[in-house]
Formats: sequence, C-alpha cells, structure tokens
Amino acid sequence: MIPIPPETLARALAEFARIVGADNVWSGDTARTSYADAMAPRDPASYAPDAAVAPASTDEVQAIVRVAAELGVPLWPISRGKNFGYGGAAPHIPNVVMLDMVRMNRILECNVEMGYVVVEPGVSFDDLYHYLVDNDIPLWMSAPAHTWGSVLGNALERGVGYTPYGEHASKVCGMEVVTADGSLLRTGMGAMAGSQTWHGFPYGYGPSWDPAFMQSNFGVVTRMGLWLMPRPAQTLNLAMKLDRVEDLSPAIDVLRPLKLDGTVQANPSLGNVIRSLATRGPRSALWQGSGPMPADVLDAARQQAGVGHWNFGIRLFGDPDVNAINARKVRAAFAGKVQAEFEESEWTGGDLRGSGHPTPTLAALGVVDWLGGPGGHLTFSPVSAFSGAEAWKQYTLVRGMYEEAGFDYYGGFTAGQRYLNHITMILFNRNDQDMCDRANSLFTRLIEVGAQNGWGEYRTHTLFYDEVARSYDYNNGAMRRWNERVKDAVDPQGIIAPGKMGIWPRRYREAGE
Amino acid sequence: MRALVSLGLAASLALGAAAVAQDAPVPEPSDEALFVEKCGLCHLEGGFGTRVLSRRVPEGQALLQDREVLPAAFTTMVVRRGIGSMPQIRAAELGDAQLAAIARYLEAGQ
Ligand SMILES: Cc1cc2nc3c(=O)[nH]c(=O)nc-3n(C[C@H](O)[C@H](O)[C@H](O)COP(=O)(O)OP(=O)(O)OC[C@H]3O[C@@H](n4cnc5c(N)ncnc54)[C@H](O)[C@@H]3O)c2cc1C
Ligand code: HEC
Repeated sequence: MIPIPPETLARALAEFARIVGADNVWSGDTARTSYADAMAPRDPASYAPDAAVAPASTDEVQAIVRVAAELGVPLWPISRGKNFGYGGAAPHIPNVVMLDMVRMNRILECNVEMGYVVVEPGVSFDDLYHYLVDNDIPLWMSAPAHTWGSVLGNALERGVGYTPYGEHASKVCGMEVVTADGSLLRTGMGAMAGSQTWHGFPYGYGPSWDPAFMQSNFGVVTRMGLWLMPRPAQTLNLAMKLDRVEDLSPAIDVLRPLKLDGTVQANPSLGNVIRSLATRGPRSALWQGSGPMPADVLDAARQQAGVGHWNFGIRLFGDPDVNAINARKVRAAFAGKVQAEFEESEWTGGDLRGSGHPTPTLAALGVVDWLGGPGGHLTFSPVSAFSGAEAWKQYTLVRGMYEEAGFDYYGGFTAGQRYLNHITMILFNRNDQDMCDRANSLFTRLIEVGAQNGWGEYRTHTLFYDEVARSYDYNNGAMRRWNERVKDAVDPQGIIAPGKMGIWPRRYREAGE
Repeated sequence: MRALVSLGLAASLALGAAAVAQDAPVPEPSDEALFVEKCGLCHLEGGFGTRVLSRRVPEGQALLQDREVLPAAFTTMVVRRGIGSMPQIRAAELGDAQLAAIARYLEAGQ
C-alpha cells in the first residue's frame, strides 16, 4: 500500500478542481461511499478511494493525468462503474483517486452505412438503445443482462451479450487512449491522421493494440468504435427447458457443431434453475431452511414455476428464409438427443420486447434478493471447453463446492464459437458475517481448484485480481511478468490503475504490494 | 439522453429530420420524468425495488410514488449511500440538483 501524502492529495485535488470545476471533485466520506462496492463480501471501506474526479472531455482527462503523473497520484479509471458481480465502481486498492468518466456521455458518430458507432465512456446501454430506437436507426446493439452499464466499459472488460454481436470485445474497432504521461494515442488505422478506415479495419499497421487496452491498466480509453449489426428482418427463437439435469452434456455437444459452422450466430446461454427462480423473488417464498436448497424441494419449486433445470433459447437473426432453414437444422440436430421439445416464437418488427434486441432493464440485479438481503454477490466465471463432458465436469465440481460451502449454485453456460463462459454467482446476505466469510473462502478455493483442472477465469472481481493472475502460471507466470514489463515501460509509477488484473508497476512491486 | 449527437455523413443523409431534431435544444425533463428515467427501472410496477419494498412498507405503498410519507432528506441519504439491496447512485451520474428535484417530487406525493 502506498498512501498519498495529505499535502500531495490536497494539491492534486486543487489542480483537478481547476480543470473540471470544484463541483466535479469529491473527497473524504463522500468519495468513499460513492465508489464503494455495494455488493461486496468485505468491508467496502477497506478498499475505498481517497477522492474522485469526473472530467467531461478527453482534454480534461489528459490534463488530469498530467497532474497525477507530476505528483505521483494513482488514478483508477471507470466508465459508468456498474460492474456488478465484479466489484461495481470500486478500485482494487485504497489510496487512489477515481477517474470517473460517466459525464463523458456523447455518442460521437453513428455510421449507418458502415454499421458502427463511436462512443465515449459514459454512454450507457440505455442511452444507446434510446438513440437507436428514437431515431429509427436500422442497426441493432448487443447488451449484457442489465443495461445500466457502459457500452465502452463493458466491452473493455470483454463483456457478453446475446445477439450475433454478443462477443463485445470482438466488435471493438479503433480506440482513442490517454497514456500515463497524459498524451493521446489512436489505435489501429486511427494512427494515421485523416484515416478513412479507423472504425472499419481493426488491425492497423504493426502490432494491434486494441486488445492490449482491454482488461488492462496500460491506458485510459476515452473513445471507442464499436460495430453494430444491421437490423434483421426477422428473429426466430427456439426455446427449450431441460427437465433432466444431465441433459446439459448432450445439449452442449449438439450445439457445438451448430456454433462452429455458423448455423447459430448468437450466444445461447443455458441457465440453471436457480438463475430462473432468483429473478422472480426471494427463496423464502419457496423454502425457509438454511444452506443450499435440498434437491427435492428445488425440483418441486422448479415444476411449480414451470422452468427447467436448464433453460435456454437459440435465437436466429436475419432473413426469414434463411432462419427457416437454420431452424430445421437446429431441430434435426437436437431430435432424440435430449428429452425436451423446442417452443418456437417469431419476431418480424414493431415492439422490440421479445425480439432478441435488448431493451432497458435492471431486473437481473434483483437476484441479490434471493436470500432476502441486504444482498451481495460475487461472480466466478471460468471458461470451459465446448464439450458436454468438460461442461458437466465443471458444473458438477463447481456446484458441489458451492453446496459444500452452504450456497445454492446459480450458474449457466454462455456459448461462444469455440468456448463456453461458465458464469456462476455466489449470492449471500451482506449483514451475515459467516456467509461473507464462506463466500470469500469459496471464491479462493474455486480459483485454486479451477486452475488445478486447467480452467481459467474470463474476467474477475476486483477483490480477486491477484489470485486469478497467479493462477495463470505457465512458465513461472511468464504472462504476468510480461504484462509487468510492459507496465514498467509505459507507466512505471502506476498512475493508471495499479494492480488491475494483478499487473503491478515497479513502484508498487518495490513497495512490496 | 442529453448527449450531444453529431452523426456521420452517411447517417445524416439517411436520417434527415431525425438528425436535425437531435440538434435542437432539449427541454428540461419534468421531475416525474426524471424520477422515471433515473429510478423507474427499479421503482415502477414490477421493478426490483418495488418487489423488495412490498415486503416491508405499509400495504399499497410499495411504489415510491404512492408513499404517504417520504421525506426528501431520507430519499437523498438512501440514494447517496444505498440501502439494503439498492446500490448507491453517485453525484457524478445524478447531480445534486437532479436528486433534489426527485426527492421533492416524492415528498410531495401525487
Ligand atoms: C445479475 C447480473 C447480470 C449480469 N449480466 C451480465 C451479462 O450478461 N454480460 C456481461 O458482460 N456482464 C454482466 N454483468 C456484469 C456487469 O454488471 C456488466 O458487465 C456491466 O456492464 C459492467 O459495468 P460497466 O459497463 O459500467 O463498466 P465499468 O464499471 O465502467 O468498467 C469496468 C472496469 O473496466 C475498467 N475500465 C472502465 N472504463 C475504462 C476506461 N475508460 N479506461 C480504462 N479502463 C476502464 C475499470 O477497471 C472498470 O472497473 C452482470 C452482473 C449482474 C449482477
Ligand atoms: C437497481 C435498482 C434500483 C434503482 C435504480 C433505484 N432503487 Fe431505490 N431501492 C431499490 C431497492 C431494492 C430498495 C429496497 C432496499 C432494501 O430494503 O433492501 C430500494 C429502496 C429505496 C428507498 C427506501 C424506501 C424505504 O422506505 O426504505 C428509497 C427512498 C429509494 N429506493 C429511492 C430511490 C430513488 C430516488 C432512486 C432513483 C434516483 C432509486 N431508488 C433507484 C432498488 C433501486
């Protein structure tokens, strides 16, 4: 831990106030509560920031970073800070100043012909939704299960959505980045002044840097190009409920070739029964005991709610004739492999609810009410090989560990083209110290046991950056050491998010962080 | 959305009137509209906040707009610090003046 000396902090805040106005600088208790992780299993005050500053433009970001670099004050950038399940708006360590870019909320460009938008960090999924819908722009967006967060921030964390463009990181094309000395960089084709193809050709000339600024602390991203998909004429949804828990394996094996050859372009997400029940209401309506719900009680609740052990939809987007052919292929592939039938529904225009296009919602956040609250959550999300046997092994092992620790297993598998994101969530009550302790130690064990089995996380909670970084241990942690060599070259003082993803700059390593 | 929008050339051509409308000054939303925009996804019918509050406030008052007594100072504190399963909302995203307008609107009732 490297505390910011009080007189240095005071000087920095005075400079920041000069840049953004005193109304946009916060310190003391206000800053600590504003950026605390509201859902953490630890005392949020133990890793709360010293202060916060909210710029309104890239120029202001540059000016702030220059001051911070001169004074050696670490900044912690966030876009909208709605990173629920992974730490909310909170930093990894105390003794930082939040660089809160929520006020930078302009959609800078929308190119309908080329199918992309250029956004600032503060643009939310709701903002983009209203912009596209209110202006009847024939482009569709992709969004996570709740729409409060930042289009740019979520893509930087490599978040996932549920349209054919749901692998958000792969739709990023061209960024503007403020580096740790306050200078400005444009990636990809944007490296050429007057480039015509900044948001069309993602790679540029020489090494490609967009991916290196994702889940990273090498720079502050102040704008991003993101591809949007052309509005489809039709969507066709094939919904399925698997009543038999063991049908997970065959369903995944059937899905794999359909994803591989592009028959299914979106990312079907096979969610378990607790995921279905937890958005509806608290568990106490179904069962009043403690510990994980017994299998027979859960099964009765499941049948009463009319949900499967696994629930998913395979949604086809595009031309009706093509969708019809692909729907036949999907049906034929599943026939006889699982004990369930598809329920088909179609969208051909008008009201977007049920279309597969996201609509503004915060309903998913209601899962924290599962045990009655005050709710907390921690998301553990290992990547699984796209195979029924591997998914089954991961599911049974992870579920067993949840239940042994006294928690219901909440989880699901979201299908990429060649992998599964296995997203699980520990739900607990924050006022129950025993539950918090169990949640913390379960998370640590999940990381360890996962790594022993060759499973790594796709993303993690701020509290566990270092543990997950250590689990990527090939050749004595060669990747972590490489990341730190890069960090030392571009930001040795650690002005930008020191310790994010377990990447520590020299100054912090020497201080024994 | 108050975002200033400048469209690319292709978009401006395709959008015509819509693009122009975006450039016109946006009127200040009413206090109610502000409440719906900033709190509505959780505090209208069917919202997660409404659901949780229905368990612990007097019957028929689970909607914040239906509350008989909701002092502005209380609302302000709840929003800034969070309460139970509701996360806090900070000044950078919802300014003090906007929050004050929402809190006054809820205190006054309908
Ligand atoms: C019930 C539930 C369901 C969820 N469903 C999904 C889902 O379906 N898909 C999904 O992807 N996520 C999901 N999430 C996780 C998360 O809430 C969302 O991904 C959310 O969009 C992330 O918050 P944000 O977009 O505001 O990003 P932010 O919080 O702004 O950013 C996330 C992190 O990225 C870094 N960062 C942000 N901006 C910058 C910048 N400009 N420069 C440098 N670094 C930056 C920071 O480290 C920051 O902490 C879910 C969470 C819950 C609780
Ligand atoms: C993410 C969902 C969410 C959003 C957004 C949200 N709230 Fe809440 N709110 C809740 C929940 C959940 C509760 C109940 C908390 C509990 O008791 O566990 C609550 C409780 C409250 C209460 C407490 C009522 C009481 O009698 O205790 C007030 C006041 C309140 N919210 C105001 C607001 C205002 C004003 C906004 C918008 C600026 C807002 N909320 C936005 C979810 C939300």
